[in-house]
Order: sequence, then structure tokens, then C-alpha cells
Amino acid sequence: MKPNDIPPGSLSLLILNTLSRHGELHGYEIAESILHASGDVLQVEEGSLYPALQRLLVQGWVSAEWGTTAGNRRARYYRLTAAGRKQLTAELSHFHRIYGAITAVLQPA
Amino acid sequence: MRQLLRRLSMLFHRSRFNADLEEEMRLHLELREQQQVATGLAPEQAHREARRRFGNNTNLRERSFAAWGWGWLESFVQDTLYGLRSLLRSPGLTCVALLSLALGIGANTAIFSFLDAIVLRSLPVKAPSQLFILGDGDEDGVTDRYGSTTLYSYPFFSQLRAKNTVFCEIATVLSFNGEAHGTIDHRDQMENLSPDLVSGSFFSTLGVEPVVGRLFTADDDNTEGAHPVTVISYAFWQTALAGSPDVLNHTVKFADTTFTIIGVAPPGFFGITVGHAPDMWIPMAMMKSLPAHYNGYKDNFYQSNLIFGRLKPGVTHARAEAEINVLYQQITRGFPDARLNDYNLSHLQQAHVAITPIATGISGLRHQFSDPLKLLMGVTALVLLIACANIANLLLARSTARAREFAVRQALGAQRLRLVRQLLTESLILALAGGLLSIAFAVVADRMLLRMISGGPDADLIPIDVSLNLPLLGFSLAVTVGTAVLFGIVPALRASHAEVTGALKDGRSNANVATRNVLGKVLIVTQVAISFVLAIASVLFLRSLVNLTHVDTGFPRNGVMLINMDSSVLGLKGEDPRMVAMFSEIEERVAALPGVHGAGFASFTFHQGSWNTSINIPGTAYNDAVNIKHNVISNGYFNTMQIRVLAGRSFGPQDTATSHKVIILSESMVRDLFPPGVNPIGRHIYIGKDPGPRNDHEVIGVVKDVKFGNLQEHHQYIDYIPNPQHPWGYGTLAVRYTGEFGAVSKDVQNTIHSINRNIPINRVTTLDRVIERSITNQTLVAQLSTFFALLAVFLSAIGIYGLMSYLVSRRTNEIGIRMALGAARSSVGWMIMREIVLLVVSGIALGGALTLATNQLVQSLLYGLKPTEPLSLLLAIVALLAIALPAAWLPARRAARISPMEALRYE
Repeated sequence: MKPNDIPPGSLSLLILNTLSRHGELHGYEIAESILHASGDVLQVEEGSLYPALQRLLVQGWVSAEWGTTAGNRRARYYRLTAAGRKQLTAELSHFHRIYGAITAVLQPA
Repeated sequence: MRQLLRRLSMLFHRSRFNADLEEEMRLHLELREQQQVATGLAPEQAHREARRRFGNNTNLRERSFAAWGWGWLESFVQDTLYGLRSLLRSPGLTCVALLSLALGIGANTAIFSFLDAIVLRSLPVKAPSQLFILGDGDEDGVTDRYGSTTLYSYPFFSQLRAKNTVFCEIATVLSFNGEAHGTIDHRDQMENLSPDLVSGSFFSTLGVEPVVGRLFTADDDNTEGAHPVTVISYAFWQTALAGSPDVLNHTVKFADTTFTIIGVAPPGFFGITVGHAPDMWIPMAMMKSLPAHYNGYKDNFYQSNLIFGRLKPGVTHARAEAEINVLYQQITRGFPDARLNDYNLSHLQQAHVAITPIATGISGLRHQFSDPLKLLMGVTALVLLIACANIANLLLARSTARAREFAVRQALGAQRLRLVRQLLTESLILALAGGLLSIAFAVVADRMLLRMISGGPDADLIPIDVSLNLPLLGFSLAVTVGTAVLFGIVPALRASHAEVTGALKDGRSNANVATRNVLGKVLIVTQVAISFVLAIASVLFLRSLVNLTHVDTGFPRNGVMLINMDSSVLGLKGEDPRMVAMFSEIEERVAALPGVHGAGFASFTFHQGSWNTSINIPGTAYNDAVNIKHNVISNGYFNTMQIRVLAGRSFGPQDTATSHKVIILSESMVRDLFPPGVNPIGRHIYIGKDPGPRNDHEVIGVVKDVKFGNLQEHHQYIDYIPNPQHPWGYGTLAVRYTGEFGAVSKDVQNTIHSINRNIPINRVTTLDRVIERSITNQTLVAQLSTFFALLAVFLSAIGIYGLMSYLVSRRTNEIGIRMALGAARSSVGWMIMREIVLLVVSGIALGGALTLATNQLVQSLLYGLKPTEPLSLLLAIVALLAIALPAAWLPARRAARISPMEALRYE
């Protein structure tokens, strides 16, 4: 693992979580939001966002619609679906359980 | 489910998908660039930085697309298109491959469909494996012989049915159900129909259910003449009655009896005889009411019926056979009119009734065609093998030639798996396209074969179901696809393992060559061996057919017309003076027609069956094993057939019903059965064993031997009896004619109808057509095996040509050097040829050994020659060499013409 890479598989969790917090976002906004929220620690290879978004679309966890940005540019906006919300809850609780367990193991006795 | 819909909709909006993704990514890049500029970077740098952070654009797009799970489809489409292109680049080879696949699979499937229909398929009835027949089911006719174990009388059946405890149901069917003219409803025209006479238990024993109405029960068959009912076949309902829903209100009239239709049998049901599909079934109790007026319902020794039954569960075959044999003796001896003299008793004692399973039915077709079909099945399987070998060779050659291409592609980063998949796709395309073609071919071949088996373009088609056999089609497809995959993938794996640099450095000589050559050569030797076996077989069959067509029949084959009529509809007995008069009037008036040189009736013309008994010649020991065929003929018959009278005289007007009985013998009868040196003319013989006056005949002439039943038979003992002394309800008039068949045939038919317009004429054919049809199966085997042998040799030649061309192309360099060093063209050509000649000769030797090992298989299908005859071997060798060597010579000559400079520069 290179420094500041995100753990594999967690990209979709980050996207889902970001969308649940901000409602509708386009790709660039999602990338910026993740970057900022992590205090600029998590460096996503920005392009890999798009295949991930497509996977979420296939699963039906997010939906996409074309809209206009503040700068009057056409952009595709993503939002969480009901199924996506459920998936997020599931992934979050899974993450917390694992993360909690790892933290407990690493805790000095 | 919804996910699948989303995926599909994405697939159909591919371009929109790409455009959307493209736009989205561009926006991202631009926004990032702006943001970077805002942090103070130079535009140039900002652009680079944005790209760096974004990653590999193409790769990302591929991954986005792959997210939808269609990646395999895309590469499949690519592989398919590429495969098609590369196949089309060598159209000749592709055509050969496709054709050999199509013919190989198609022929196999077609032949197997027949084998299945005639030999293998179970009867379409309930649990056919429980059905057994008494005897072997292989006789038809009537006999009064004691000890008959296949044909039984109806009274015997009735008693057996009541007394046996081993069959849960038992039924009987008249063994010689023929055609009869009858009238449907009140139509004007009589039609030629085929009714089967059966016991009331027939349908319930077979366990079939009616489609309409009801089937027979025992109550439809208990009083002679009292059950004018019939069950019709599904096909008859559909064709003759146009599937009319009120079928039960229709009738069929035979002779004076009107039969009411009471039911329709299920579709596809035909009884127990494969290849015989009756129009309808009539209770045995009505046998006397049919036009032929069979008088056997109550006759204890009118043994005319087949008996079959359904074995009770738990009863073993051995127990059933034991009980039936006890009952057989008991019932036969118990008949009040049984003549239990020593002679008959000895025959009864020797009789053993075998119980034979009839799960697949009984069939005369089977005896005739099962050997030829099995043989052809073997032949087509071998052809398929050769086709597979060819495909293998073709694919091997292609992939070796492409070793360099693969090396280049691998060097450029293609995945090994992807390369293998590519080759696999090509092989599959080839195999599947060949498979599709083969289905079309099989359908056509099926129809042609049915025509051939039925006896030619003018014959009625035999009613058997020969629709494509799907399991076998699947099997053949699997074999060829398997071959294609195997031989496509092995070299693919090898090629993809090739050391990239080695293959790139030297496109012409890498380590694969040796292995490929060995495999290719083994394939060639195998092909040649198999082709040689097939070539010998076809030469044998062709020569056998030629022998048959040159057999001396004892009469000239050409120029005789046979008119088949049904005099039974007139309702007159053969001995009725009106019938006798009518036949002689027909004979006289037809003989007087222009273009007609003679006309005569016979109870049996060539290949029509026989009436045979033993005879008793005073002064010689009686031998009941010698069967004599009797033929009742009119006065003009010998003259019409041009059968030579060797001694004595022919029949004339002086031989009448009241004059003393006379008989004419065939020459071999006199030679073999009379004491040597005795002049038979004027001697008396008895037909049958009893030397009573009723059987006493004076020999008045001797005629030349003729073929009677078929062309293969040896000398037949035939005697001839004049019609007035043993009146016969004739069915066939022979007419010797010159001129145009159609015109003479019309005149003859008009003349017959002017004498009696009620006689239906079934068909008019010629003697040579009948003779041809009697050797249908030899013709079939000869024609088809020749076709397949040619195909095999042709395919092998292509294989040889392919291998040679390949060898030559591999050795261009070497040849160039040799010639530059002074080798003569001829010696270069020979160097190439030597190799292939060696292969062909080993193939022939191997094939010869195979032939010697398997020649017993074909012996039974040959006439007038032995399978090991040197001439046939020689012909096959010559034929094979004549095709194989030119195929090898062409590339060799090309090698010899190579200009040394060109060859050396080429690399």
C-alpha cells in the first residue's frame, strides 16, 4: 500500500457516504468532498471514481441525472437511492465492526 | 431482474453511454485544471497535473464499461469478427473445412436416423419391453404344416388366450395383411386401402388409447361376420377424411360389407410391424367379409396369424416359454381334426416355440436393410474421422504459420489467455458453421435416402419416421467441435508459449516444426489408411452390383410390362368360370394389340412371393425338405417371358379343367430330383406327399431355369401348372411390347377396362424396374459407399496437398540453397515427393491390413466375389494413387521450380 492510498473496496463506501451527506453531487464534487473531509489525507486516483460510480449505478444504489452546474456547465449529478441508503447502513456497520476489532487488537495492553 | 434490464438498456445505448462518460470526465478534468490554475500553477502545468491526478483515461473508460459486465461480450464480438476475417482470408481452405464437416456430420446423422427408425427405435406403445411374440415373427402367409412356430390359426389363438397364465394380455394379427379396394362413404371411386385384421384384444395388449371414439374390445371379435366395425389410423383420418370431426359417422365398404368407423388410433401408431402403416384395423371375425374372403376364422389349421402378448410382471422369459410350449402341444393335438400320423407327430415333437421380445417391433425392412445401414454407418463414421483429421491438419497448419503473428502480438502486450481465446473462437466459428450446414445436408440426405430405400423415384415411400435424430446430431457436433477445439487450442497454447524473441528472429524454423510434422504425418497416414479401406469396400460393392445386373435371369429383362390389378373386388372365386373366361379374354385381346408381342398371366412374376410344397416323385425317396415353388400360368406366359421350352411341349387349349392334369418342370428339377438318364416327359409326379389321384400330374415339358424371388438365389425348383386345372385369381399380367411405354400401357389398360370396367388397376411397371428394385439394398450400398469413398479419398488428397504445401514452404530456404549448390530440379522434386510417397504407401499398407482383418463384415453383402480378391485391391490402390499422388505432385513441382535466388532473398 502506497502512503495515503485508500484501502481497497472502501471507495464505494466513501462515495455512498458522501452522497448521503450532501444529496446531489457530480463527479468532481464527490472527489473534492472526499478529499476535504479527509483533511487532504485520502488521495483518490480521481479517475477511478468513474468506474466505481458505474458499478454503483449497475447495482442500483445510486441514480444519475443530467443537470447544470453553478458555472452553467452540463454535469451528471448522482444521488443515493433507497437501496443505496440500505447498502450504506450495512457497509457502515460492517466497517465499524471490523475497524473496532482492528483498533482493539492494536490497543496497547 | 431490474439490474438485468438496466444492463440491457445500457447495451443498446452504447454510444450514449460513451458520450456521457466522455463529457463527465472532460468536465472533471477542466474543473481540476481551473482549480490548479487558481492555486497559482501555469496553465501548462495545471493541465499536466490534472491529467496526472486523473489517471489513464482509456483504461478508466474500459473499466467503467466493464463495470456493466459486458466485457466478455465485447471481446467475443471482436474475436468473432477477427476470426471471420482470418477465415475469409483463406476461402479455399475454409470451404474445404466447412464442406468436410457438413458432409461428415450430415451423412452420419442421416444414416443414423434410418438405423434408428428401422432397427433401434422402440414401438410407440405402452412399455414395449414387456411385449413378446411367439416364434420369430419372420414369416407371413398361410401354412397347414404341423409344427409351425411362428404362424398360428385363430382357434389356436383363442384357446391359448383362455389357457395361458403368463401373459396378462395376448393378441393376434393376420400375418399377410395386404391391400384391398374399398369405398369410403358413398364415393364413386374405389380406393386402394390397407386394412389389418386383428383380434379384439389388439389395442388393449399394446396399451394404446383412442384419439376419437373407442378401440376394439374382445366383444368386437366373438362372432364371425357380426362385427362390421373398423378403427382407422390417425394418418388415414387426416388424409382420406380430411380430419373431419364427425369421423364416427363415416363408413368404409369392402366387398359387400359396410364397416362403421368406431374410433381413431393415436398419431404415429402402426401396430407391431415397422415399415407397414395400415390405414385401418378390422376384427379377425370379419376376415371372410374382405374382398379376398379369407376363410380361416374357424379353421384349426389355417395357420396364418402372428401371436404376441404382454408378459405378466414377475414372470420370467424361461417360465413363459416353458408354459407356452406345453400349451402348444396340448392345444394343437387336442383339435378334433388334428391328423396325428407319425409324420405330423414327428414334426410336432421337434417344434419348439421361442418367445422373442418385440420391443422394437418386427420388420422385413430390418432384415433387408439392417446390415447395409450398419455398414454405411461405419463408413460415414470413418468419413467423419477423416473430416476431423482434415480439420485438425488445417488448424495445425494455420496456427503454425501464424506463430510469428502471435509472437508479435505477445510482444505488443497481448495476454496469452486472450490469444488462446481468439484461436478458440476461430475454431468454434468453423465448427458451428459446419454444424449448421450439416443439418441442412442431413435433411436433404434423409429425403434422398428414403427415396432410395423405398426403391426409386416411382415407388411409394415407405412409411417410417426418419426425422433427424437429435441425440446423434448432438453427438457428431460435439465430436467435431471437440476436434476443432482440441486441434485449435493445442497449437495455440504452443504458439503462445513460444519464445517471443526466437519466433521473431526466425519466422521459418522454430522448434515446433518437428512436433507438428509428426502429428500431421500421423494424421495423413490415418487418412490414407481409412480412405483405402473405403475405396476397397466401394470397389467390391460396385463390382458386386455389376455382377448382379449381369446375372442370367433365364428371361430377357427388357421390354416386359407388368400390369398389377385387383380381381378380388369382383367378388368371384378364382375357379368361377366367369373369372377363367375373363382372364383368357384379357390375355387374347391384349396380345392382339399393336406393339404387343405376347401377354400372359402368372400367379407369381419375379420377386412376388411364392406358393411352395414338397413333391413326391415315384421311384425316388420322398424328401419333405425339398421345397418346390409352384406357379400357375396362362398359355401365353412362356412365350411372353421368352422362357425357353427345352423338351416336350408348352400348355395349350387341350389342357382344360377336365383333361388329365399336366405339369411343366424347370431344368434343375429334372437334373437334381430325377434319377440320372431318365426322360421325365410322360412320367407322373404328385404335388405334396400323398400319391392320390387329386395330386397326380403328368410331366409334359421341361423349361429353362429362371430367377424367381431374387437375383442372388441359386437354381430354384419351379414347376408350372395350367390355369384351368388350378384356377388362380390372378393379380399380374405380363406383356411383352415394343414402342413407347406410356402409349402401350394406356392401350392395355383400356382393353382390360373394356372387358371389365370394375377391375381396379393398381400400378403398371416394367420387369426391369422390378428387378432393379429387388436389389435396392445392393444399389444403395454400392452408390453410397462409392460416394463416401470418393469423398474420403478427396479429403485425404486435400490433407496431403495441405501438408505438402506446408512442407515446401518450410523448406523454401533449404531448397534454394540446394539448387544454388547445383541440385537438379528433378532431384529436388523427388526429395519432396519421397516423403509423401512413403506416407501414402504406409497408409495403404495399414489400410490393407485393416481390410484383411475386417473382410468378414462385408462378405454377406457381396455377390459373386470374395472380399480379398486381388483385382479389387489393385483397383483401389490404383484409384487411391491416382488421386493422392497428383495432390502431392503439385506442391513438389512448385518446389522444383523455385528460383534459387528468389528463395534465398526471400528471408
